[in-house]
Amino acid sequence: MAFTLITQGSFLSTGVNVKIPLPSSADYFKTYNLTQMPLAPATAVVVMAEWFGGSLINPNSGLRWKKTNSTNALNLDTFATTTASNGFTYVTTVPVVEAQAPNAITGITAANPAVVTQTNTYQNGDIIQIYSPTGDLTIGGMNFQISSVSGSGYTLLGLANVAGNGLAAATAGFTRRISSNLAVDPQFLFITNISNAIQAVVSTSVDPSAYYVVGNKIHFSVPSGMGMQQMNQLTGRVVAINAVAASGNIGAYNMTVDIDSTSFTPFTFPATALSPTAPLFATLAPAGSATTYNPLTGVYTGYEFAKTPFHTGQFTPYMLLAGGAQSPAGANGDTILWQAYKMEATIYGTGTTAV
Amino acid sequence: MSISTTGITNINNMAPELPLQFSEDLLSTPQFNLIHSFGADLHFAESNIGKTTRMSRYERLSTDGGQLDGSGIDPAPEVVVRTDIDATMEIYAKTVVINEQVTLYENDKVLTKFTALLGQWLREKEDLLMRDLYASSGSYLNAVGGINGQQPSEITRNDINNIERLLLGNDARTMLEVIEADLKFATAPTRDAFIALASTDITPDLQNVQGVILKNAYPSQEGLRPEEYCSVSRFRFFVSSKGAKTPGTSSPGGQTVYSIPMYGLEAAAKIEQNNYTAILGYRPPYVVSSVAQNSQLYAKFAIARAITNQNWVSGLNVTARL
Repeated sequence: MAFTLITQGSFLSTGVNVKIPLPSSADYFKTYNLTQMPLAPATAVVVMAEWFGGSLINPNSGLRWKKTNSTNALNLDTFATTTASNGFTYVTTVPVVEAQAPNAITGITAANPAVVTQTNTYQNGDIIQIYSPTGDLTIGGMNFQISSVSGSGYTLLGLANVAGNGLAAATAGFTRRISSNLAVDPQFLFITNISNAIQAVVSTSVDPSAYYVVGNKIHFSVPSGMGMQQMNQLTGRVVAINAVAASGNIGAYNMTVDIDSTSFTPFTFPATALSPTAPLFATLAPAGSATTYNPLTGVYTGYEFAKTPFHTGQFTPYMLLAGGAQSPAGANGDTILWQAYKMEATIYGTGTTAV
Repeated sequence: MSISTTGITNINNMAPELPLQFSEDLLSTPQFNLIHSFGADLHFAESNIGKTTRMSRYERLSTDGGQLDGSGIDPAPEVVVRTDIDATMEIYAKTVVINEQVTLYENDKVLTKFTALLGQWLREKEDLLMRDLYASSGSYLNAVGGINGQQPSEITRNDINNIERLLLGNDARTMLEVIEADLKFATAPTRDAFIALASTDITPDLQNVQGVILKNAYPSQEGLRPEEYCSVSRFRFFVSSKGAKTPGTSSPGGQTVYSIPMYGLEAAAKIEQNNYTAILGYRPPYVVSSVAQNSQLYAKFAIARAITNQNWVSGLNVTARL
């Protein structure tokens, strides 16, 4: 096989990261911003980008082609060049830290939802893993889905970081961005609260609607340090997803289950002072489904082909294209054409004699 | 003065015709321990009936009430509950393309060896897929009994006993039979046991767990798998360098966190597609290349996987101390 175009495609950018599955892998990858290419955009706008499998393989690496401000003259540098922007990340395994090195946070508010202060380049919907959150140590090691992202912070809709949950404000810590899907779906989820109700409302750290549907069964694991021991090892059926508005100890990401927790001990995180000896974490895991059929409406519940069966959660390898005007996946509304190439032999870095 | 003037015929003036020779034996190809499949139930999927397999379990009936009081009133009927576990079949493949000059010039029979490598890939890939299932879709508790100051801590006897309590409380059945005591010095019997799968990175900590019986101290070595490392309480530990781990996420130190699935009978399933379990194939040069210079070997297999009973699988997240 000579140098060959393996696959090609296009997408309409929404300004966020895009994953391009690459079953045949790639030795060379290229994007064209078809919207910005014929224009004379501002200097930093990327109109074309290239990734080379033998050399520019670090996270966020690659070449970026930009136009000189308001003219058609092209400038070329790498994504790491000042002013740096996010480029290509070639991912071959999951679960994985996709594009980000450990990133320091400066605070997590004691609020519902919790707000994190951090200089970041994350995007809405990203999943980050928090560790060593000083003052809030018992959430260290959990994954959270983020929203309302700005360059200086974001919101954790799945975390009611309030005293009623046994939690407090954090003043420091670190995050890593991880894949939004683990290797296999449906995946286990971290629990951030369970209400006392005839039908318990289970708050999760990420949006459960991406993994579960009404009618699925979920199995609870609630260690002794987190209250509500009566829920430990029970299996319940999901009757609603994200149907309860965030308030009090309940986060915006939640599932309602057919377990009466009215008389259960309240759910609570251990105090941060009890870390690291307090047993953690409360989690839920997929336990099958109970499909039902309503003969009056003809509606089945409890099954969805894309979510319910156990299946690979994240296809690998893939190319993660960073979103944004200064990145390969472009800004909202840009049309991006991408191409993946393979070559028969890679000879980067071999020999020292110029030919 | 040249050495050759001394009159001695040596390799300085008469070098071997061939500068090297091929050793009579190939060196071993590394293979990691395959530990993640043998504890799973094996199911088979028929062809031509879609790609999703449904495994169903009828849940037991409630034992509450049931006494007849003699009034003639029948007890309330109970609605039977069935739980369906679904898994989607997926196909994986690997290929090697060989130029004719390799087979022409190589001293070794490369096609034979490459076929063996593909066979090894089949088993290794399958093992990692099952590992990912346990790591992604199970519930784990952080070990907290250790002294390394991390959340989670290193593994301890108390943490292991806690998982045993969970599994027994959920009526899980052990998978391995007792190894009875024998009149041998420094040996101890092992109880009927659940299975635990761990990374080789934590073997120093496993040796340090209270009450550990290292494999060599079992009363009998008959039938033991080479991957087995030790027995603690009701668990027998099998280790692999590819055991599940997540780098840099413990608190406060940011150490690697290792996940140890611990389970009993029928906790997970591996489903094979009939007639597609493991296929090794060869495409000759006249098919692969327009000038008949490249041939191709390939391997592929189909697999579906599922946690079939969450009550019978649990596990620990641990860090390393030693």
